[in-house]
Amino acid sequence: MAQANELKKQYKKRTLAQETWRRLVKNPGAMLGLGFLGLLIMAAALSPFIFDYEVDVIGQNMSERLMAPGAAHWFGTDEYGRDLFARVIYGARYSLIIGVGSVLLGLVVGTILGSQAGFHGGVIDSIIMRGIDIFYSIPNIMTAVVIVSLLGPSTVNLMIALAFSCASSFARIVRASVMTIRDQEYVESSYAMGLPTWKIIVKHILPNCLSPIIVQITLLIGTTIISASSLSFLGIGVPAPAPEWGALLSAGRGHIRDASYMCIIPGLAIMFTVLALNLLGDGLRDALDPKMKK
Amino acid sequence: MKKRLALLLSVAMLAASLAGCGGGSSSSGGSSDGGATGSGHKESLIIGTDADINNLDLQKQQDATNNIILKNTHQTLVFFNNGSQGDERFGPCLATSWEFKDDTHIEMKLRDDVHFNDEEKTPMTAEDVKFTLDMAMDNMAASILTGYVQCNVIDDYSIEIEIESYNNEFIQSLSSVPLSIQSKKAYESGVEDPYYIGTGPYKFDEWVEGEYCRLVKVEDYWGNDIPEGENLAPGVAEVIEFRPYIEASSRVMALQAGEIDVCVNPPINELQYLEEDENITVYEQTGTRLFYFGFNVEKEPWNNETLRQAVACAIDRDAVLEAAVYGKGTLQTTILNRGLWGFYDDMEGFDYDVERAKSLMAEAGYANGGITTSLSYASGSPYEQIATIIQSNLKEIGIEVTLEPMETATLKSACVDGSHELFLWRWNEDSKVDFVYRDLYYTGSGSNYHHYSDPKADELIDTVATEKDPELRLAAAQELQEYLVNACPQVPLYIANLVVAYNKNLQGQYFYGGGNHDWRHAYIAE
Amino acid sequence: MIRYILKRLIMLIPVILVTSFLIFWAMSLTGGDPALMLAGDNAKPEQIEEIREELGLNDPFIVRYGNYMKGMLTGDMGQSYVTKRDVFKTFMERLPNTLMLGGAAVFIAVVVSIPLGIYTAIHQNTWKDTAGMIFALFGNSMPNFWLGLMLIIIFSLKLGLFPTGGKGGLDSLVLPAVTVGFGLAALITRTTRSSMLDVLRQDYMTTARAKGCSEKQVITVHGLKNALIPIITAIGLQMSLVITGSVLAETVFSWPGIGRLVYDSISKRDTPMVTGSIIMCSILMCIINLVVDLIYAFFDPRIKAQYSKKG
Repeated sequence: MAQANELKKQYKKRTLAQETWRRLVKNPGAMLGLGFLGLLIMAAALSPFIFDYEVDVIGQNMSERLMAPGAAHWFGTDEYGRDLFARVIYGARYSLIIGVGSVLLGLVVGTILGSQAGFHGGVIDSIIMRGIDIFYSIPNIMTAVVIVSLLGPSTVNLMIALAFSCASSFARIVRASVMTIRDQEYVESSYAMGLPTWKIIVKHILPNCLSPIIVQITLLIGTTIISASSLSFLGIGVPAPAPEWGALLSAGRGHIRDASYMCIIPGLAIMFTVLALNLLGDGLRDALDPKMKK
Repeated sequence: MKKRLALLLSVAMLAASLAGCGGGSSSSGGSSDGGATGSGHKESLIIGTDADINNLDLQKQQDATNNIILKNTHQTLVFFNNGSQGDERFGPCLATSWEFKDDTHIEMKLRDDVHFNDEEKTPMTAEDVKFTLDMAMDNMAASILTGYVQCNVIDDYSIEIEIESYNNEFIQSLSSVPLSIQSKKAYESGVEDPYYIGTGPYKFDEWVEGEYCRLVKVEDYWGNDIPEGENLAPGVAEVIEFRPYIEASSRVMALQAGEIDVCVNPPINELQYLEEDENITVYEQTGTRLFYFGFNVEKEPWNNETLRQAVACAIDRDAVLEAAVYGKGTLQTTILNRGLWGFYDDMEGFDYDVERAKSLMAEAGYANGGITTSLSYASGSPYEQIATIIQSNLKEIGIEVTLEPMETATLKSACVDGSHELFLWRWNEDSKVDFVYRDLYYTGSGSNYHHYSDPKADELIDTVATEKDPELRLAAAQELQEYLVNACPQVPLYIANLVVAYNKNLQGQYFYGGGNHDWRHAYIAE
Repeated sequence: MIRYILKRLIMLIPVILVTSFLIFWAMSLTGGDPALMLAGDNAKPEQIEEIREELGLNDPFIVRYGNYMKGMLTGDMGQSYVTKRDVFKTFMERLPNTLMLGGAAVFIAVVVSIPLGIYTAIHQNTWKDTAGMIFALFGNSMPNFWLGLMLIIIFSLKLGLFPTGGKGGLDSLVLPAVTVGFGLAALITRTTRSSMLDVLRQDYMTTARAKGCSEKQVITVHGLKNALIPIITAIGLQMSLVITGSVLAETVFSWPGIGRLVYDSISKRDTPMVTGSIIMCSILMCIINLVVDLIYAFFDPRIKAQYSKKG
């Protein structure tokens, strides 16, 4: 019986995925975004083989400092004579890892909170949800500033700080989903069978709210990349000499007049990446929307 | 419809603001470029500062920007001359003369023609001086007045100050802005913000936090008859306004656009635009701000003197100077700020020499390097640049440095607790040598971020502070500097140049290498 | 109605309690001693200790928090460590600047987004639709401080049209407001578009057309009016983004608002100023949300009726 169920679900899932993909392909914006992201991920993954981190990315060469973009240095050089092209490509690793990492962390925390609130209801629900509301009412950049100054600046701490703001939206989605299915028989029977809560969550709850979560993940990665760069800009992001995009921007800020490319190029990198994520997210939203089914 | 919606939204925003909006601030009047007044100068002088003005209560603050403003409205007992008015760096101001009666008693004569800028033109007397100094001991300003015991009023215009023990620089302390003379009567009358009352040629008109602080010339200033060019002469411009432009590029552009007349600390990489501008003068002189690299000598392995010297030899200070301030500064060997009494730079020290560094490493027992450590500094320019250069320098001799940029507050705490290993900091002092030696190197002192403690150094510091024979004192000062450079708790990196850019018609300005400029007599000629 | 408002305002109390505790706690854990920041470089250890004593920093955390809350009960939000001025007063001095910036930003966002949303809805599934949506997405896809810097490069440096920063006349408001406003445009455009799409399919639209109304009239009078509620919700939801955006825009443009105030205060470890300001921000957010709710009621008689029933 269980096996049959499993099979049936897999079958269903596959068709859902296929259906979504079929619809997504028809959306030119989403495909454009997907293509760009594919290229970017490839570049980020391959960058250690193309560039020598010690030499090309953080190695200094004071005789070539602040050179404008040209044939030798496509994106110019920074104030230590480091090639900006190498740094921007390498920086994609940091920005993507921070973006994906904090959103996933936020997803885990949000799922736990949301499902606890949803399952238990009553007082626990009120406490968790009011807490999330309150958290939501404080501008998230301020929370992040406080958390980072609390833990000290590092890539991991930055992810933790940013995960906080992602958690609340996941918690809401999961809670809503739990509320609709918690009284259904198969959930109750899982409980009765003594299945641990996390298994119930993974088996029954998550698949049920998969579409909003996928959309939310895509969009939040973009927002998080922007927030990370904002924190770097305020001087509390990833420590030097790592070429995180926000750090590149913040270094370029001091050269806004004499070497404006140092500011423009990393900004464009952020913008196109987030735009691609947003286009993909919007595309997914439409593709997963049951209303759009014909 | 669109219009109506927008209107509605603005109403909504307004409603939200009404929820608790009591006073509301008056917006800037925009009285900036006042017309000519016929006497050959513009009515107002507008100065773009690089930091916010945060507290104007003299004795309860320590901020350079506040002090620059307070210099116009308040006056000190002793005048600190920037070197342009003779060799005697400390001269009369509100006090006309002083004399040590014995090691611990100073008799001081005061001017008898000074009055406060209040309604009644209350005369300034010895009572006000005593009141000011006594009050300082209960406030933050106490750190400047170390050694003060009490003040006895002899008559209306003479006082006797008692100090704990003889000190060569006590009189110098009295030239600090926070110790400007305030009105006893103002405090006793219970008037709001009594510290606003001073004796200076300007008085406060309006201060809007974060926007501007406007001073106006005092019409019946007590020194109106003092001839132009003297220290206590009256002001010229009718209005002096200070406006913070935190963002350096904005400050430069504001100067070029004529929004401000003076731009302090313009970023060096934008000087080219100012130099091209024919309406602007870029002024540059050797400063007094020393940037340095320090060790926490209590922490392994930095308690090893030879190892510290190896690091000193490995730092390419030319590259540091170039990266940090585009070469606009001076390298030096000694740890004392340039321009201070007894400055002595004629010693070998530790120049950039990788081979020597490597042999010192071997001597220290680290022939193969293999040290990992961290460098803490305040995030932002120029520390970011200095740290990046030093990180790659130290790699050459086998020291792996993790960079730890942090907020200034966190850095200071880490340095005081001693949880740091290597650090970058700066020291700005242009008047008192004791504020360098004692604060940075004396056992247990507050800014001794090196946690350096050495009985011989302590003894020499005390000698420099109290030795009356000038020759012996100078000898002690030189020995001390050599001793400290050799012990190497810090590597002095460079002295940054003082750079100020201003409207080419600016006159009457009075610059200090430390940045504590005097704008009392400055104006824009027309 | 009034009871509903009162209920919402009472909800503020736990918000204040929790936020103040969290911020106070975080500030006390954050490395960095306010006394060290205040005392200046020449201070002796004893003097730093004295300042610590004076500010009550030596008391245990709970005592300090208790004292702070005792003050709050009497409406006293304390004194800034740095300026020694009243926190509430300082906040209120800065608030109009941020509201002015936020208001102008929302205004710009609305002026751009609503027409764009309607336009893309009318041309659904054409290249005009795609292009319009991508344009709106741009605002959501860049760090707004970067947009601010770009605007400074173009409009202040190259063209010399607007001042680069500081608060002066109305012209100094333009660049910061565009910076914040453009970031809001995406969501408002998207909401307007989908809301219009729903409305355009309704029968009364066809009826209106049949009655002989001009297309323009149909869309603005019948369409937009009915599509407004989701749009207002979207704007309301964006208010926290307005405040966040302001923190950065205020730093870039040296705009003397609360964003910069909070940021500066954190860096100086001015706990009363930070706590007070963030509490006030949260209260402000709640009030804005309430106002947004009341605006729904104004636009949708059904909701109004609901409130009245409760009240």
